Amino acid sequence: MKVKVDKTVLASVALHVFVLGWMLVSVSTKALDMAPEDSVPVDVVSADQLARVMAGMKTGKKENPKPLVEKVAEAKPADDAVGKITEKAPVLTETAPPPQPKAEEKPVEKKPDPPKVVENKPKEEPKQEPKPVEKKPDPPKVDPIAEAIRKEEKPPAKPVQAARPPEPPKPKVERTFDQSKIAALLDKRDPTRQAATGDTLNSNAALGLAKGAAADNSATWGSMFKQQVERCWKKPYGGIESQKPEAAFAIRLKRDGTLEGMPVPEGAPATPYLRVYQESALRAIIECQPYRLPAAFFEEWKYFAPVFTEQKT
Amino acid sequence: MTDNNELPNAPFRLTRRQIISGIASTGVVLGGHAGSAVAQAPKRIIVPEGEFTPLPIAIPNFVAGTPGDTEVGVGVSQVITNNLKRSGLFAPIDPAAFIERISNIDSAPQFQSWKTINAQALVTGRMTRQGDGRLKAEFRLWDVNTAQQLTGQQYFTSPEYWRRIAHIISDQIYERLTGEKGYFDSRVVFVDETGSKERRVKRLALMDQDGANVRYLTRGSDLVLTPRFSPSTQEITYMEFGQGDPRVYLFNIETGQREIVGNFPGMSFSPRFSPDGQRIIMSLQQGGNSNLFVMDLRSKSTTRLTDTPAIDTSPSYSPDGARICFESDRGGKPQIYVMPATGGAAQRISFGEGSYSTPVWSPRGDYIAFTKQGGGQFAIGIMKTDGSGERILTSGFHNEGPTFAPNGRVLMFFREPGGSGGPSLFTVDISGRNELRVPTPGFASDPAWSPLLS
Repeated sequence: MKVKVDKTVLASVALHVFVLGWMLVSVSTKALDMAPEDSVPVDVVSADQLARVMAGMKTGKKENPKPLVEKVAEAKPADDAVGKITEKAPVLTETAPPPQPKAEEKPVEKKPDPPKVVENKPKEEPKQEPKPVEKKPDPPKVDPIAEAIRKEEKPPAKPVQAARPPEPPKPKVERTFDQSKIAALLDKRDPTRQAATGDTLNSNAALGLAKGAAADNSATWGSMFKQQVERCWKKPYGGIESQKPEAAFAIRLKRDGTLEGMPVPEGAPATPYLRVYQESALRAIIECQPYRLPAAFFEEWKYFAPVFTEQKT
Repeated sequence: MTDNNELPNAPFRLTRRQIISGIASTGVVLGGHAGSAVAQAPKRIIVPEGEFTPLPIAIPNFVAGTPGDTEVGVGVSQVITNNLKRSGLFAPIDPAAFIERISNIDSAPQFQSWKTINAQALVTGRMTRQGDGRLKAEFRLWDVNTAQQLTGQQYFTSPEYWRRIAHIISDQIYERLTGEKGYFDSRVVFVDETGSKERRVKRLALMDQDGANVRYLTRGSDLVLTPRFSPSTQEITYMEFGQGDPRVYLFNIETGQREIVGNFPGMSFSPRFSPDGQRIIMSLQQGGNSNLFVMDLRSKSTTRLTDTPAIDTSPSYSPDGARICFESDRGGKPQIYVMPATGGAAQRISFGEGSYSTPVWSPRGDYIAFTKQGGGQFAIGIMKTDGSGERILTSGFHNEGPTFAPNGRVLMFFREPGGSGGPSLFTVDISGRNELRVPTPGFASDPAWSPLLS
């Protein structure tokens, strides 16, 4: 028997087979196998907790006055810019936070002497050099900078910074609104704005603010404590107006989660409502013991200060 | 009528408190832990406040100090229970759950047995008949968890005033546990309505805030409206349709005497006392309009406060007496305005959709309550005195005439369900959470809350 086959049908079938086959290979993805990850304990962290965690590292080195820098600033003296920028002294200081005290003094003094003193210190060398250049062209022991300045027609710029009275030509230039000079101004700003860079690489974290707290596990056991004490807290009715009450205690817990002694309230309540608020919190702390908190962190939660407050911020 | 003395703390409690506080302050116990730990500031854990929860409180029957006073002891505790429960801020525990039976209020209760039933506060009390026939009422409020006495008082009164004593004790408990003044020792004057809708008899009536002790002040031959308390709680001003035009009257609760306030041509209505009780502010009709006037009750001199071609009415003083809020349709629809108590420029404060009427200033000074009409509904709401923060507390077919409790935390108003029924009184707290019907003998409308009696 001969079966009459339409070529177009064949072609269609072949084409379909091809397309489907191709799709099987190309469209289907290999199983999205993700490398199994270690389970990570997750907890809801409030904004202020996050802020505290971020607040600096207790392990940071104190003897590390330099800013955290990931990129070395290009040593280009920003010659042209310097001349005009001088008036914007504050900007310059921002770029060079590390030598803060000295850097600030120098611009004021406008004397080459201090820079030399600074040179003795290795860290500040690069930045200090540009600064002196900016401020005083005359004493220029720094030849390259001076040259750069001259190249860009900035002899006038120098006088502007150093002393306005001596050379009037500069003001004139500015008033002409020469576009080339504007460009020069822009150039200056760029380097000054590169605050993220520094003269040396410094990957060490700073110590952080004195009030910063080191990261700890309080987010974990703290939220567990919260969940437990909340059940017992019958907060007094404060009306519909927010009074922003707060009641803090210092409490000591034993390993079994019971109170070691009476919670010690922080401060005396100023109003009848605050007194009632404090008492309600005290009742809650006492009623809800023992607290089931992770034994591993006992050293952290054996002594802490629960602060009962209105969440609204 | 009553006098009170602070009850001494139970002696055992004093010593224990002293010991604990002494230990805590000197750090004897805490210091033993580790010297370094004490010096270091403890880790602060923020506990955010959750939803408000009524405070579980146990109020066992007051002990009868003398035989025959058992009944009044039971009555007092029931009145207190009812007051605190109706406030919505407390959850009185069913006496059936009580484990300990209080027999002597001078010794400390067994706190553990009250803790077991989850009571956070405990009220114990005793009613004792004195030799002179007076009744002595004593009570103590205990904090179960800290085992402390929070407050304790004793009062002497005539036996027939035992309900009032119960209200006063309720106020003490309320104030000690919420930090707010109470409002239970107060009365409400309202218009009692009886009879069919066509032949409704309206009488002035007076009752305790919880609906007890109803007294009728008028006979019902004339129509009475808008009664208002004086700050002294001894007088009421109201409007009555007698012969001819409606007039504003002054009524002395004690003596039953009444007099017409002023002698004005045309209708005078919607009166209210000034906070010092020396003046009455009201509306006087002039043609198709009405304006606000204030009359000094001593000199009988009358001062005009507004002069507009509009209907100015429902004036209410701020608690300091410096300003007045009132209703006016000078801008088209009735809205709420505020102006100095001496008259002058009025400032409109209501800007929501619909019309606003019957404004009344809270005794706390923080809110103005009003009736709002719009969308076929009558709502009771509050707004701040500058018109911001409007909150609708309840809404329906017909709600009207809010009046503040003495502490400014609760409103009473009247509601008409529609149909053949009549109006009745309701209370709602200013969060709108806790709405309750106030029991009255018949239909009731136009309530006005008195200040605290004591």
